Amino acid sequence: MAMAALRREGRRIAAPLISPQPINPIRSSIASSDREQAFLGVRSISTQVVRNRMKSVRNIQKITKAMKMVAASKLRAIQTRAENSRGLWQPFTALLGDTPSVDVKKNVIVTISSDKGLCGGINSTSVKISRGLYKLNSGPEKECKYVILGEKAKAQLVRDSKKDIELAITELQKNPLNYTQVAVLADDILKNVEYDALRIVYNKFQSVVAFLPTTSTVLSPEIVEREAEAGGKLGELDSYEIEGGETKSEVLQNLTEFQFSCVMFNAVLENACSEQGARMSAMDSSSRNAGDMLDRLTLTYNRTRQASITTELIEIISGASALEG
Amino acid sequence: MTLNLCVLTPNRIVWDSEVKEIILSTNSGQIGVLPNHAPIATAVDIGILRIRLKDQWLTMALMGGFARIGNNEITVLVNDAERGSDIDPQEAQETLEIAEANLRKAEGKRQIIEANLALRRARTRVEAVNAIS
Repeated sequence: MAMAALRREGRRIAAPLISPQPINPIRSSIASSDREQAFLGVRSISTQVVRNRMKSVRNIQKITKAMKMVAASKLRAIQTRAENSRGLWQPFTALLGDTPSVDVKKNVIVTISSDKGLCGGINSTSVKISRGLYKLNSGPEKECKYVILGEKAKAQLVRDSKKDIELAITELQKNPLNYTQVAVLADDILKNVEYDALRIVYNKFQSVVAFLPTTSTVLSPEIVEREAEAGGKLGELDSYEIEGGETKSEVLQNLTEFQFSCVMFNAVLENACSEQGARMSAMDSSSRNAGDMLDRLTLTYNRTRQASITTELIEIISGASALEG
Repeated sequence: MTLNLCVLTPNRIVWDSEVKEIILSTNSGQIGVLPNHAPIATAVDIGILRIRLKDQWLTMALMGGFARIGNNEITVLVNDAERGSDIDPQEAQETLEIAEANLRKAEGKRQIIEANLALRRARTRVEAVNAIS
């Protein structure tokens, strides 16, 4: 039915036109009708083209819907663990404080991002904040370095800050996240990078639709001592008698290392949750858009179909009336 | 006046309630904590934490971390913690034997250190089980 209409359309358009190419009768009429249509601009979109588009949009909708469900199930699994790990760093903050405004010479910015894409804008916000922190903390006598976790931030930061990247670690989520793995990673970072303050940038998971970009600051033991003597938030540290080691600084060093690995663990889990949540909402809006597109294409398809039926009817009727006289 | 004890590990909260007294093992020996203890922050060794509720003592195996005591609030952060009642004595004994065998087989400084740590952990778990029974 559609083929017949196409053929008729092709012939109707070809007749009044003086085509520069000889009309070759061996060539299939469909090809010629397509060429004629391209020649004229699209006077009538063929139903075949619309149908192909609809098929591909429908496939995309199915895929994005499936991706959304996968992200939802992964989110559920990781959300409980993230909430459980939140309690871990709070005592540290209560004891040692979280002072992002501390003034130190060597800053290290640890940016946590995802490896896979299609997760909305969370990686861009992390990178934006890292760059902002870098600008804030660079100046005379101050230096700032990056440690990057995750492929996406690496791709963005390598472009303009290649010389400042100390370490880049990817494929974090190949095995399910656990504390031992993150502790080893934290150890690696502490060994290889000189730092006075570590600023961890990640997306905190507040709810399935809300991700807050946050930064947690971990200070090195020397800076902790300096700030404790200076008073202020950390001044309370001195009121605690420190036991369990040869000297106070040894205990403080162990304490800050433990703090760093706990904060890292929490940050990595929260970022993973935010990634899954962002991917869920991105895939959801994508499948909704695909649905809208499909509606519009269906309307176009129906209009095209009805137009071709109408023209066929007109031809039949005019042909019949011409025969009658 | 009771103490509020919180034992936290990276994976979950192991204990969060009021207790009468605790005995904690640190790097420099065991310390007992009663209400109104002076504020201290200390490192916790791989060892047993004893908790007293009313007149009953509970044991918990801790795998190293930190403790902060102040204002009748005790916060213990450890790499891992298990309640004595949750440990299977048979399995703990087997783990201990495996750890001992590994220590004998270990070569190289790093392996020896790791085997030692594993042995201490296994021993702590066995002690935690035995201390209750």
